[in-house]
Amino acid sequence: MKSPFSLILLPTLSCNADCEYCFETKTEDRLSLDRLAVVLEKVMAYLEQRQIPTLFIYWQGGEIMTLSPEWFERAHELIQESAQIHGRRVVNYLQSNLLGYSQKWNSILAKMFGNSLGTSMDFPNLHRRTKGGTPQQYQALWERRVMEAKAAGIAIGVIAIPNAATLDWGAEALYEYFVDRLEIKEFQINTPFPGGTANAVKEGYPLETERLTQFLLDLADLWANRGRGAGVRIGPFDKLLAYFEQGSKDVLCIWRENCANELVCIDPRGHIAQCDCWVSSYPEYRFGNLFTPASLSDLLQGSQARQKFHLRPGQLVQTEDCLDCDYLALCHGGCPVRAYSVRGDLLKKDPYCALYQGIFRRMEEIAAKG
Amino acid sequence: MIDPLIYHIPITQLPAYRGRNLVVRSRDPAEIIAGLDGGAGERCLYVQLLGLGAAIDRLACWEVKVPMELVIENPEAELPLLYRYSPLLMDRPIRVAVPLVAGFGKVVRLSVSLDFAVKIEGGQPTLDLIEELLGVASDYLHRSTLTVPIEFIHSLFQSFYRQEPVSLWDIQEENPHQVRYITDQGEEALSKRLARVKPPADPRLFRKDPFAGLLAQGGECRDCQFVNRCGGYFKWPDKEYPCDGIKNLLRMLEQAAAELRRDLALYQAQGKWSSSV
Repeated sequence: MKSPFSLILLPTLSCNADCEYCFETKTEDRLSLDRLAVVLEKVMAYLEQRQIPTLFIYWQGGEIMTLSPEWFERAHELIQESAQIHGRRVVNYLQSNLLGYSQKWNSILAKMFGNSLGTSMDFPNLHRRTKGGTPQQYQALWERRVMEAKAAGIAIGVIAIPNAATLDWGAEALYEYFVDRLEIKEFQINTPFPGGTANAVKEGYPLETERLTQFLLDLADLWANRGRGAGVRIGPFDKLLAYFEQGSKDVLCIWRENCANELVCIDPRGHIAQCDCWVSSYPEYRFGNLFTPASLSDLLQGSQARQKFHLRPGQLVQTEDCLDCDYLALCHGGCPVRAYSVRGDLLKKDPYCALYQGIFRRMEEIAAKG
Repeated sequence: MIDPLIYHIPITQLPAYRGRNLVVRSRDPAEIIAGLDGGAGERCLYVQLLGLGAAIDRLACWEVKVPMELVIENPEAELPLLYRYSPLLMDRPIRVAVPLVAGFGKVVRLSVSLDFAVKIEGGQPTLDLIEELLGVASDYLHRSTLTVPIEFIHSLFQSFYRQEPVSLWDIQEENPHQVRYITDQGEEALSKRLARVKPPADPRLFRKDPFAGLLAQGGECRDCQFVNRCGGYFKWPDKEYPCDGIKNLLRMLEQAAAELRRDLALYQAQGKWSSSV
């Protein structure tokens, strides 16, 4: 059975926030519903040709809630029509900063997204800001929106990016903020990288690997001791533990054999790239434009930029020390954009290699203890 | 009555062997697809793709879900190409067959990391290769991320663990009672490894007679503790091949199996576990 194909779809590059570490280059471009129909037709044709039964669409921006719920109502109809015509299954996921959330969204969130959504917040919040506002104002508004959404029965998952202060405050403080104070049962820690236009904040990336590793190991232990039995899920620990306990290989995209086999990103102008980290900020790494006459299959197969992504893991086992690593089966050299933005070459291994090894080893130890 | 033998044939011999149990090989995926589509591969147990260099896009859409073996010819050069085949695992079981030559250990390591089953081929490794083989066996026994079989190590280990007999000739699919290898010229041989050994009039006697000869000659096999599992497999084609390194490998597997059996028995005795493996 073929795995699902994932489409990171950015129907807008407009954003209502002004986060200092954002890797995207914002524009006011928006995807029209007519053009959404073209996207769907070409993606569905690609799935049919490759005999892939299921499409995951990750709706992101920009900020996705700068579009209207009505836009999504119509988009949902188009998706259902297209899926039926092509005999495919579509599962939709939403990632929003929630600043624009109101009750008007509840109906489409229930209908299209299974009454759940993903959002982002750091602790402490230093870099996420509303336009012209402060991190504190952003955080207060975000917390209010989270509470409103939770009150409406919407399941919330959070992505958190550690910063230097996160490491100073420690794992316990972060855990207490999300789990005890906000009662968030599902969150994920992503490592920061200096993607997109350089600025002072990004100059501090990657974070000091040794301290970040220790922070994550502390958080893993905390989760294993307190959260795991209480139904709290923290990525990447939960899925790594499932891997070491049961062999289920459902890990983050950064650790897949080759992300180029499994996903693409399309922005509102039709640009196609490996993921949202590439599409708006690295034009030289785009695979092509979907709004040309070519099929998605032809665009992907003919793209020299995509060829580099395909070659990457094979190159890493020859040029880096990945083949000697105990965790090659889990990592395959890590994330291309982290390698590119830190080391200037996507054909290098991920700069957080030592950190990943530390986490893998700790989760293996936790699994062995039972 | 259906011929019970399994014939390893080049795809050019497909018309001559239709209706028999087959393993079909080619270095061209398009040739395999064209040859086996439309029911022609009905009795095909698996296909062998020789070398990893060919264009494989059509394999990703091939509807005949027959298992596939990727036959490595040059481990160093073909190592990075393994990644291209990883998505095909969603459609069919895939095994990587790697010759016991320099660099084979790297291919094994990457193959198992990509969840490909592995078969190590060839029977008379040098001392350097024995070292590499011991490293592979150690990975097989101890690496927690390894979840696929590495033959012949896997079946031997299982045999030691279960204390059941097994034949290396069977594991390596070279048992003359079951298998024939058809050369690219259409000639029948005992196996790929022994393609240059002139087959006896009755191939079924191949193993018995020479093996009896080895024992009668008072050679290494006579007092070997592993002879029931090995059956003289490593004495071909050079009967004088010294088996010290191979015996170290088998001893390692035997000891690990005994250790596992002991640990599980202890675990069971403590009431922590009640079912059998």
